[in-house]
This record gives sequence, C-alpha cells and structure tokens, in this order.
Amino acid sequence: MLVYLIRRLFNVVATLLVVSVVTFGIFFAVPKITGSDPALMYAGRETNETALAGIRVKMGFDKPISEQYLLFVKGIVAGRDYNTGVDSTHCPAPCFGYSFKTETPVWDLMLDRIPVTLSLAVGAAVIWVIAGVATGVVSALKRRTAIDRTVMVGALAGVSLPIFFTGMVAPAVLVYGLGWLDVSNYRPLTEDPGAWLNSMILPWVTLAFLFAATYARITRATMLEVLGEDYIRTARAKGLTERVVIRKHALRSTLTPLVTMFGLDFGGLLGGAVLTETTFSFQGLGTAAVAAISAGDLPVIMGITLLAALFVVMANLIVDMLYAVIDPRVRLT
Amino acid sequence: MIRRKQALAITAVVAALSLTAACGGKDGDGKGDAGSSAAAFDLATKQVVNPSDKKGGELKLWSPQDVDYLDPARAYYGFVWNIQRLYVRQLLAYDSKPGKDGTKLVPDLAEALPVLSNDGKTYTVKLKDGVKFEDGTPITSKDIKYGIERVFAQDVLSGGPTYLIDLLDQGQKYPGPYKDTDPNKMGLKSVETPDDKTIVFNLASANSDFSYLLAMPSSSPVPMGKDTGATYTNKPISTGPYKVESFTASKGATFVRNEHWDPKTDTIRKGLPDKITFTVTTNPDDMDARLLSGDIDLAVDGTGMQQAGKNKVLKDPNLKKNADNPFTGYIRYFAFPQTVAPFDNIECRKAVIYAADPKSLQNARGGPTSGDLGANMLPPGIPGSDKSYDPFNLTKGEPQIEKAKEALKACGKPDGFETTIAVRNNRAPEVKSAESLQAALAKVGITAKIDQFDGKLSSSTIGSPENVKKKGYGIIVMGWGADYNSGSGFLQPLVDGSFILPNGNNNYTEVNDPEINDLFDKAAAAATPEAAAPFYTEINKKVMEKALYLPINFDKAFVYHNPRLTNVYFNDSMGKIDLATVGVVK
Amino acid sequence: MTAPLHDTSAETPAPVVTADVPAKAIQGRSPGRIAWMRLKRDKVALTGGIVVILLILVAVFAPQIVSLLGHPPNEFHEDLIDPDLGTPLGSLGGISSDFLLGVEPTNGRDVFSRIVYGARISLTVAFLAAFVSVVIGSLLGALAGFLGGWVDGLISRVMDLLLAFPQLLFTIALVSVVPDSLWGFEGTGVRMGVLVLVIGFFGWPYIGRVVRGQTISLREREYVEAARSLGAGRGYILIKELLPNLVAPILVYATMIIPTNILTEAALSFLGAGVKPPTASWGKMLSDAVPIYQDDPMYMVVPGLTIFITVLAFNLFGDGLRDALDPKGS
Repeated sequence: MLVYLIRRLFNVVATLLVVSVVTFGIFFAVPKITGSDPALMYAGRETNETALAGIRVKMGFDKPISEQYLLFVKGIVAGRDYNTGVDSTHCPAPCFGYSFKTETPVWDLMLDRIPVTLSLAVGAAVIWVIAGVATGVVSALKRRTAIDRTVMVGALAGVSLPIFFTGMVAPAVLVYGLGWLDVSNYRPLTEDPGAWLNSMILPWVTLAFLFAATYARITRATMLEVLGEDYIRTARAKGLTERVVIRKHALRSTLTPLVTMFGLDFGGLLGGAVLTETTFSFQGLGTAAVAAISAGDLPVIMGITLLAALFVVMANLIVDMLYAVIDPRVRLT
Repeated sequence: MIRRKQALAITAVVAALSLTAACGGKDGDGKGDAGSSAAAFDLATKQVVNPSDKKGGELKLWSPQDVDYLDPARAYYGFVWNIQRLYVRQLLAYDSKPGKDGTKLVPDLAEALPVLSNDGKTYTVKLKDGVKFEDGTPITSKDIKYGIERVFAQDVLSGGPTYLIDLLDQGQKYPGPYKDTDPNKMGLKSVETPDDKTIVFNLASANSDFSYLLAMPSSSPVPMGKDTGATYTNKPISTGPYKVESFTASKGATFVRNEHWDPKTDTIRKGLPDKITFTVTTNPDDMDARLLSGDIDLAVDGTGMQQAGKNKVLKDPNLKKNADNPFTGYIRYFAFPQTVAPFDNIECRKAVIYAADPKSLQNARGGPTSGDLGANMLPPGIPGSDKSYDPFNLTKGEPQIEKAKEALKACGKPDGFETTIAVRNNRAPEVKSAESLQAALAKVGITAKIDQFDGKLSSSTIGSPENVKKKGYGIIVMGWGADYNSGSGFLQPLVDGSFILPNGNNNYTEVNDPEINDLFDKAAAAATPEAAAPFYTEINKKVMEKALYLPINFDKAFVYHNPRLTNVYFNDSMGKIDLATVGVVK
Repeated sequence: MTAPLHDTSAETPAPVVTADVPAKAIQGRSPGRIAWMRLKRDKVALTGGIVVILLILVAVFAPQIVSLLGHPPNEFHEDLIDPDLGTPLGSLGGISSDFLLGVEPTNGRDVFSRIVYGARISLTVAFLAAFVSVVIGSLLGALAGFLGGWVDGLISRVMDLLLAFPQLLFTIALVSVVPDSLWGFEGTGVRMGVLVLVIGFFGWPYIGRVVRGQTISLREREYVEAARSLGAGRGYILIKELLPNLVAPILVYATMIIPTNILTEAALSFLGAGVKPPTASWGKMLSDAVPIYQDDPMYMVVPGLTIFITVLAFNLFGDGLRDALDPKGS
C-alpha cells in the first residue's frame, strides 16, 4: 500500500513536470514564433525601450528559455527574487511569478479564485451525484415504465444542452421571467452565507443538470448490467429482500465506474468550470484562465494550467484508492 | 496614446435640454428624491446638476476595470487620472467647470499660471503657500522636480506617459533618480529649483503644450524620503483632499480624508464625501443593476452601460433623466495606409469613404447613443475643432454609391478591387464596424476580407508599417483619444510624419506631408493653446482633403449615475463626471 | 466545404464481417443484419437518424436552401432594427414570412440563413474531428492493446497525460495563436482546420482507451489463438482477425463523439475561439446574444435550440446504434 502510494505520488510529480514543460514550451515559445515580445505584453501599452529593458531584466526574459523554465520551477519550490538592480521584489514559495496584467503574484490570484471555483464545483457535485444516481437507480428498477422513459428522455435532453445556453435560459426564466431568484455576483461564504447561497443557486443547478443527466444514464446502464449478473440472481435466490439485494450488492458494483467518472469530472471542474463561470460572470479559475489567454498573461496561464492538472491527477489518485474500499477485489500494488 | 477606454457606445437623443430643470438642489428642503426637478437626460454634460455643499457620506465608485497604477508617474488610464484628482495635485489642473471652461488650465499648487520668458522656452512657476503632503510637510519645488524625475526611471516605473522625457531630457540621458549620481537626486538639468517656492523649466524650443504636461498626474510632487520605487503605487503620498487608506490590486481601494489638505489653497476640489471607496467588479451587468438600484453611485470607468442596462434606462423616462450621453473625446475611424495599393491613390480612398454607410457603422457601435456621426478628425472639445466641418457629407448618414463609383473610375478601378480590413479581435464594436464596412463595400464591387488580429499585439501588427505592407492591410479600424486637450495631443501621433515609428506606430496612413508637419511646428511655437488652435483647424482640413481617414463617430458614452449624487457635471477635458466636485448628501 | 460523409458516418449498418452461415434450416443472420433489424425497430433512434440526415442535407445544400427561403447570410437589413435599442423591430426577434427565424440584433442579418450556414461549420468540424480522433485512437489503442509491454505503457501514459490537461483551455490557447493564413491557405478554412485538429487530437484518448481494452480482451480469444497456431503473423492477426471485431465499438464511439464535438465547437465559438466573423456559427450567435437576451430572447433561443436538437438527434441515434450492436441485447 505504502509502496503503491509512493509510486503513484512519484507519477503525479512526473505528470505535472511534463505538463509544465509542455505548457511552458507552448506559451513561452509561441511569442517567439509569432514574433511578439513577452516584455511587450507585460508592458502593455508602453513601448518605451528603457521600460522594456527594465522588464526583461526583472522578469528574466533576457535569459534562454530553458533557464527561464528552471527559474520558474525553482520559484514554485523555493521562491525567487525579481531584481532590476535598483529594485528587488521577493516572491516567496510557491512562486508562480507575477501576472503581466495586475503585477500581483499569480499564487495570490489563484488563492483568490479557488474559493469561487470550489464553491461552484462542490455544490454542483453534491446536487448532481444525489440527483443523478437517484434517478438512475429508480429508472433502472422501474425499467420500461413511464417513469423510466421520462427520466431517460430528460437525461438525454440534459446531456444535449450546451451549458452556455441553459446558463442564459435559467436566469431568463427564473430571474427576469418569473422573478423567483435574484441574479447576483459571487459573494464569499465567509462574508455572508445567505448572499453566497443566493449567488450560487443558479450556477449550481445549471451545472449540476448537465452532469446529473450523464450520471443518471450511466447509473441506469450499469445498474441494469449488474442486475443481470449471476451473483444478484444468487442473492435473490438466497431469499434476500429486494431492498438488501439492491443496497448491499447491486448499488455497490454500480458505484465503481461512477467513482472513476466522478474523479475525472470533479478534478476537471476544480481546475476551472470555464463555461459556467463565463456564463455567470463568476471570477473563478476558469474565467481567470480565459482572460489570461486572451491577454497573453503567461504566468497566470502557467499557474492555472498546473493547478488544474494537479487537481486532475490527484483526483485520479484518490479515485484509485477509493476503489480498494468499494471493491474488495482490487488490490493496490 | 492611450487613455484606454473602450467606450461601449451610446446615446444621442440630442440635447434634451429641459429648461425647467436646473439647480434643484438649492432649495435645501431635504427631499432630494429622484423626482426632484434637478435631473434631466444629458443635463450634466452642460451644467452642474444637484448643486450642494453638504459634506459627509460615502461615495461608492465601481469599475469593471482595475486601475493600472495609483502611482501618479505610472497611471495612464483616463479614469485613473480622474480618481487621481482626489489625492494628487499638480502645478496646474483642469478647472472643475462644465462646458469649455473645464478644458482650461488653472493654477493648482501653483500660485499663478506659468510665466513664460526666453521666447517661450522658459517656464517659471511659483508655488502657493500652505500646500502640504498628507503628513503635514510643506510641498516644495524640489518635491515637484523629484516627482518629474521619477518619470525618467522607466526601467522601474513603467506605464505612464513619457512626454516629459521627450521635452526635458534634451540629450542628457538622465536615468531617473534611482540611478542619479547627484547626492540630492536633483540631477535633471533642464529643471531648476532656485528656492523652495520656485521651479523653472528650460525647454529646448517653445512648446505651447507644455502647460498641459504640467497638469498631467505624472507631474505630481513626490516626497523623496517616502518614495518606495515600484511599490509606491500601493501607497502613494497624498496632496489632495483624500489619501489612500488601502489598496488591493484587482479588488479596490479606500480613500479617507487628508487632514493636511487646506481647502483654502484649492479652487478646484470640494472634498465633500467623508470616504470614497473604489471597487473592481468583474461583472459589468451586475454593476449596472446595482447602479440602477441605487446600491452604488457611479461606474467610474466612464465607458458607459452595457447594452441590457442601457436599454432598460432608455425605455424608462424615470431612469433616463439620471443618465447622460457625453462625448468621450474619442474618434472611432478607419485609416487607409498609403503604402498598400490601391490606397496610394486618393480616388480609391475616396471610393471607400463614399461607399461606407455611416448610419450602419453607427449602429455597429451601438446606435446613436454611441456617438454622433463622424465628420472629420478633430473631436469636439479640443480647441480648433469644428464638428460641422463635413467635407464628405458623412453626417447625411447615407452611402453615396454614385460618388463612390465615380471615384473608383477615377482611380482606374471601375470594377472595384480587393483589400483587407484589419481589426482588433478583442473589440466587439470594431469587429462589427468592419463587418458593416465589408457589406457596404461589396455594393460597389470592393471585396474586403476581415483580418482579426490579436488586439494585445496592436503595436507590432498594425503598429508596424512593414507588417501592414506585408499583410496588405488597406483599411485599419481604430479609435483614438488625446492624452491632453490640444490638437497636437490628438492629431500629432496620427498625422505628423516625424511620428512614424517602426513599432508602436499610430500614424497608420503613413502620411508625411511637409505642410502638415510644418503646421505642427507653428502650433507648438504659438504662445498659448488658444493661439495654437487655428493651426489645428488647418491641419484637420488638410488631413480630410487627403481622404486618409473615414471617421465613424465622435464617440459618446451612455453613463448613468445615482440620483443622490450632488454637483454632478461632465468635465470636457476628460468626458467624465468630475470626481473633484461630486458629493453624496444634499 | 461540404459535409463529409466519410466511412464511419452513421446511417449504414456496421459492416461486421462474418463467415456466411449456410442459409438453410435456421435462417442465419449476420450480426450486421441483426443490428440493422434492431435499429429499424427502435423508432426513437430512427427519428434521431432521420434528423441527422436532414441536418447533413441542410449543410450540403445550404446555398440552395438559403436562396429559396432566406437572404444572403452576410447581408445587412438595418431597416428592421430599432437603432436606439439595437433590437429587431416587431415581435419575436423580427420573425416574419420573409425572415423565418427573425433577424440578428444590431445589423438585421437573416438568422435563418446564418443557422443554415452555421450547420456547415458545426457538422464539418464535428465529423472531421471525430474522424481524426477515431484514426489516431483506433490505431494507437489497438497497437497498445495488441503489442502490450513498453508500447502499451508508453501509449497509456500519453493518454493519461492528455486527460490530465485542461483541454478546453489548451484548445482556446492553441486556436487563438494560429495565424490567419497558414501554408498558403487563409480565412475560414485555416481556422476550421485548426479546430478539427485540436478537437480531434484531444478526443483520441477516449477512443484509444476503449479500443485498447477491447483489443486486450480479444487477443486472448480462441479464434485468435487458432489463427496464431496456424502460423498467422502479427500484422495479419491485427488486421484480419482483430480489426473487424473492433469496428462495432469504434463506430459506436464515433457516433457518440460527434455530438460532443458539436458542443465543443459551439463552446469554442462562444468563448471567441471559433471561426471568425462574418462566418456564421451557432456558438458565436449565442455569445452575441449574451448582452441582449433580456431584450431579444429569440436571438438566444434559436441557435440554442438548434444546437440542442442537433446534439440530441446524434445522441438518440448513437444510443440506438449502441443498443443495436450490443451482442447481449435482446
């Protein structure tokens, strides 16, 4: 178990290193190819040569790309100093550099954005897992009934709707049409739980609807498959009540593929629910990343990409550990 | 350039000048509700609405865009310059009066306007008594010189305008105070401080615009002992009625009263609110909703409301009377680089101008509230401008197909030609303008394809004449606003041949006409901005006669403000509600 | 720019190879035929399939349809717009007998024509990207599963790595840095090509995983053993014995990935990384609708429903196809 864990953690680090090299390569090499100067992007509108030279020295753009990468990695592990000769700024670890646009540390920016994305992902995940699995199970047990058909048509519609469309329809109907809800900006949970909840409901429901639909479909399909297995027949033959058969045997096997999916989905969402955040003007990691891409804010792109990849690989790791719990046949070696 | 603004166009509805309105605030009956007779649509662009001298309250400013810098040497955004009127003073400042008076410079820290000598090459300014920093130390001429010297330290303090370097360096290659070998850091030779109250600027040649540069935030005094270099932007030292209490990048700032500001030394600022908060939001629609509900006071970025909010206001007369439609000082236009055939031929340029559909272009930017139909290349408010000068009949608002076809024939391309429209990909109204022009040109046989380039790389795409030629950009969509309120501030980077740069060029048409260049020199040599004005009228005319530009509009913003605001008026020098006078209680 | 009907497209039954059982006493039916018969009975899936075919026809014959029922997609009709508000005059977004789906706010372009032309972009990108994913995914997946060892290790690692990438962000980033003209091509074609490659590239690991798993389970089957013991080479086994049995899962996955691609293309256009104006695309229409949907909801509803119906149709058909090809199905 411990050996397994160490090996996997080593894999996580390796994956992140590869992701960082690729990302760094793409985003720092692209300006070279298109002939644009990162210092120019940093300076924004100012094309003053002295200013550009100052920025190049301070940000290390004058160094070869491999050295810049090493400095970047070193910054994350140990922090780094930005020095112009007359003026020095220390950026403590984990240092992802400074945003070109706001000149604030990328790490601070990410810390600022994480609660938003986390609120969105956790809340939506709770809703979609409960709603998706429940409807999926019911649908499977009531196979070929009107309930089943309705649920499955709804679920299929759900996976076919783009979230940037439902994200507009929901407020159009619930806020401007019926007046049931307020549209509101994200408010931190720590500041005002009521306002936080109020601001989260629409995005949660919109995002959860999409995933719940997928989960209902998968749950139903897996459940049906499981119910056809020999051991379920055996369990039934033993005279166990249907309730026990479903709860103790069927549901458990149904969960296994769902856990994998959930790990990937949730891990992916933590790296930024780009479309949901954009649709609801939420300032999470996703909108930060999109804004950074369109502004050419390389350090922010790097930071968020790495963070997002970290979430995905960690989620995968946790999922694999969970397997051992859910499915006794799985041995972690 | 570049008071960045990205005006999201807006309203015209010509001068709903309600004569009954006016001066409601005087009554002092304390009601001051939205129904008071004070407010009317677009009134604050002409006079002070809701006058009052009551102090107190919190002024809540919001913006979808963060400040670039609070450091006066580094700020370049127009709305930040407006905010800086609250906490930094310069020798001279734009008067806080509606109409043309608001574009005039008056003494601020200075006792009087500069005294010119030596054929206009020497500016001597005396400081007022009793002007102090926020810690109570008096402001001296050395502090002003030091503040100006900081602009030279571009390697540390980049971002702000650099006009001062152009005029004051005079070959010295002064590196800025941080690398200054002078023990007192007073090494800039062209500026002298014979005593603590006197500062003398020696220019290499006369320049009627120099006063404008002294009124820019980058000419603010900075106390050497308190200068923290690149981090000064987090806590600049105040000289105005408010000081920075806190600032968090991309979140906002709080300003509180500065006890050491003496209102008797200040004819411009009222200092009415007790506290001013600046909040950065990322959801402009949410900001509009809060404005309309009275939660907040003003969208200080000044670019105007989003379409949803704007439409709500336009449909509701009760809301509309708290809205205004000021000129932003910007012109939106198409430029025709003469290096790209067939735009080397004036007739082909004329053909495009005549073929365009001005109304459609206006709609692309957001309809009549987004600006008045463009006519020429000098925006209203700048001395020497004349909005009614319309050599191509653009304000009629219709495409002139016949004239366009004649011009095409004269150009030797009766069947039209092919060209490329270059447009920034991050400006939706500009993309829509390009689509509109494309559709209009198709009707006379001109096939234009649209090339959307990366907006953040403007200075190396359309700003590089070599690249423009290589890519065949015959038509460039752009917008321009002056850094300071003079004809040269607006026109010189666009049409002076000596301003053609290999990178970051703004003279897209690459016009290098000795007559025009000469007129700029003459204007600079004029004694006062007023005396320079006729030269700019002349330049504007020459530029239009050469058919180098197709002006789209004289840009306007659609701005809503909380009806509780007092002393509301739009300062013509910046096209924004002047924060120096605004109060929140009646 | 016609919608490609390449070999994995959906309306023909899977060409699963079978040894012809002598048709005598019991009527022998090939798996392909069984699937086709099942599919024919599944009315919902058939409806989906018919809608898919209709959409493909719409995309192919866009110019003819528009010249009959609409206006040129880039023609402005500003007389139909309220200049102050920017919204279409008349109710329901300006829907009339002349403009079947109303007009676009601000400039009055014909929404019907733009939807029809948008179908071309959407379907072309989705099909070609699916093709790219299928080719890369089947090839690498089969190789990994068949060869095993370090090849499998490497390919599996690469697939894991790709799945750990924030794909949407990378797609936006990659699409937005590619210049307008490339290798002598320019305009919409370049952008579409980039979209196809990027979407297709990020999609292959999904197919790769399925194919790999399937290959591993197949290679130990008796008939493969038999072939091997008869002295068949690796290449022969892979192509002649394994590939035919991989066709069904690949086909199912391809039909499932097409609707995903449609959504991805729409999302990219929505985020401003799709084809460039004035080319019509459904996602771009939705993003244009954002600032104005409170005043003109139709301009949001029309492209939104179009995407919904298209994706739903593909999903219905894909579901039906999967069930039909499922050997365990009844």
